[in-house]
Amino acid sequence: MNKIWVILKREYLTRVKNKTFIIMTFLGPLLIALLYGGIILVATKDASDKTPRNVLYNDESGFFNNKLDSVMNFHFVKAPENRETALKKVSSGEFYALMEIKDKNISDLDSVQWISRKTLSLLQKEKVSDLLVNKVYSNKLKQSGLSQGMIDSLKPSTKVSMLEIDETGGIKSSSSGIKSGIGFALAMIVYMFIFLYGSMVMRSALEEKTNRIVEVIVSSVKPFQMMLGKILGVALVGLTQFAAWIVLSIIGVITITTLFGEKIASTVAKAPVAPGGGSQMAAEQFQQSGMMDMLYNLPHLQIITIFLIYFTCGFLLYSSMFAAIGAAVNQETDVQQFMMPISLPLIFGFFIAQSAVFQDPHGPMATIFSIIPFTSPVVMVVRSPFGVPISELLLSIGLLLATFIFMVWITGRIYRIGILMYGKKPTWKQLGKWIFIKD
Amino acid sequence: MLIEISLFSSIYWYFRSVTPIIEAIDVVKTFGNTQAANHIHLQIPENSIYGLLGPNGAGKTTFIRMVTTISRPDSGKILYKGQALNQNDALKMGYMPEERGLYKKMSVIDQLLFFAEIKGMSRTDAKQEAVKWLTRLEMQTWAGKKLEELSKGMAQKVQFLCTIIHRPEFIILDEPFSGFDPVNADLIKDLIIELRNNGATILFSTHRMDNVEELCDFLCIINNGNVVLNGDSGSIRRKMFAHKYKAGYLTEQSFDNKTFIPLQFEKTTDGRFIYTFHAENNQIEALLQQSTQQGGLIYFAEDLPTIHQIFVDTVKA
Repeated sequence: MNKIWVILKREYLTRVKNKTFIIMTFLGPLLIALLYGGIILVATKDASDKTPRNVLYNDESGFFNNKLDSVMNFHFVKAPENRETALKKVSSGEFYALMEIKDKNISDLDSVQWISRKTLSLLQKEKVSDLLVNKVYSNKLKQSGLSQGMIDSLKPSTKVSMLEIDETGGIKSSSSGIKSGIGFALAMIVYMFIFLYGSMVMRSALEEKTNRIVEVIVSSVKPFQMMLGKILGVALVGLTQFAAWIVLSIIGVITITTLFGEKIASTVAKAPVAPGGGSQMAAEQFQQSGMMDMLYNLPHLQIITIFLIYFTCGFLLYSSMFAAIGAAVNQETDVQQFMMPISLPLIFGFFIAQSAVFQDPHGPMATIFSIIPFTSPVVMVVRSPFGVPISELLLSIGLLLATFIFMVWITGRIYRIGILMYGKKPTWKQLGKWIFIKD
Repeated sequence: MLIEISLFSSIYWYFRSVTPIIEAIDVVKTFGNTQAANHIHLQIPENSIYGLLGPNGAGKTTFIRMVTTISRPDSGKILYKGQALNQNDALKMGYMPEERGLYKKMSVIDQLLFFAEIKGMSRTDAKQEAVKWLTRLEMQTWAGKKLEELSKGMAQKVQFLCTIIHRPEFIILDEPFSGFDPVNADLIKDLIIELRNNGATILFSTHRMDNVEELCDFLCIINNGNVVLNGDSGSIRRKMFAHKYKAGYLTEQSFDNKTFIPLQFEKTTDGRFIYTFHAENNQIEALLQQSTQQGGLIYFAEDLPTIHQIFVDTVKA
């Protein structure tokens, strides 16, 4: 036990003292903060884009002629008769877009075309179609004898808040988008870290073998202890990095919000007030992308616990296999052939996480693969923000732990032989034989 | 004077040792079709410098691995101070493999502490010992440097320290002088002798003979997994003595019609003429007489084979 500790300490300290680690630890959150800032910027960009855009329109129904008010920064101008001329004006950049309303009958507006050099954002698209629909709608209301004032007062403002109720009757707001996003981000981290740190374990085993360090220490430490100390040490490095990232990210996000938050809010407020309340929408969208409310309401403790359990167990499971490979081969170039088959389940799990979970986080595919030990570290983490039944969690964690212990035993046996074998690159068959060689 | 001291010390060490620190009894180890150890019997006397000689692939590393408990003999026994060798004994050993290597990214001091701790030394003890040795070898300023920043010779010294930092009573050095410049090689040589004088036993394995004769109290030559020769170097040389004698002259000699006809003749670069004769024990005086009669004799000596010759001869045989 003491020996495992000495090995673990060495693995941990040399890595944590390493420059790359320190740089990554500080750069990681910076990148996250930048990404976060980027999202805010993109979300507010539409609202802050104040350059007037002149849009040509051609209305075959004749209904909209001279009735189109400006919306956001779009100002509508009747297009020339000749379509070619109109298109040329758009392609040359003189006009921003050409909108063609091809419906003769305005009760169905399903043949509207928007031709522009740049695709519209979702918000802009929504605004433009709102403009058309509202025109038709209020026209009909007017025809039925309502005054403009009546029409305006009739129109309710809409904002649907998604709420979630749990077993105890508690209600909180929910957002499946944010949940998928968080789950996916966490799964990505698990996936990347297993590979990143797993290959560290592999290289470390390989280094000790090629440097013959192993011959010096193997007489005083059992190979199994060496392997365990190694993977636990590297796992701790990973966990340290997470801890540092979480703390630094929080600091970073808070800094960005306080530094630029006001500026963003003021941009939003200064955005042109167009009919339909464009800036208000933008502000709402900013709040959504700010995600603060939603984030606060997620089951943090559960997500973090699940993440840590699955990261640790998943890492230990895979890195024990990586360690065995590092011990078995003689040079780094021989590694690839063994890495691929071992990594496949994890890659597959990541694929499942992307597809099945997004469609239905509690569907059969997602459920099954979040229980199978080789894919669960990724799949279960994606599911975690959606709330996973405790029975499934226990089963999945139990299986993962059992597999981990079994694999450490198996790989430990390969490690013990491989670490002292020099010469030719072993085959899979030989690795299999090593498991059964007696001490 | 020096030679006498070393001769006396050899004799002293020879008679001092009673229980061997390592005793191999009928040790067999096979890898596939290769007999890496073929019924090996040998004793390494405590408090001695023991040379394990053999060409590449002779089974030296296999034997060392069994002694360091990395692997076990297929049959036979290895005793450590008279008791069956076990894992705990390995903690009292220090091993420097031929292919050197330490952790490149680790500082010298961390490296020393790690190897000491892994051998069961307490951290405080390890620190004391590390400081002592670094000061002794005037390497204090290097303590914080990473290994990859050191020169090859420096790294070798660190490796040597890593081997002995935990005060092992049995030290195994595989080709300890390879990679050292003559100055550092002498330093290590002195350290080895000092360690022996302080009570340690040193097994060193090599296929280079230059240091063997002056260092080793005992020798063992193995080839193809067999012990070919073993004993103290004096008696090995005596045992391999082919009753040859050398007579050196200032001028070229003719031995026509003489009782003793030279087996070999060589002219040294400094203009001496050396003749090698064969003579049984009862003929020595006659040979000497004949030699002096020739005139111009500058020396006459028995031709004890060097360990190098013995090694080459036994390995070739």
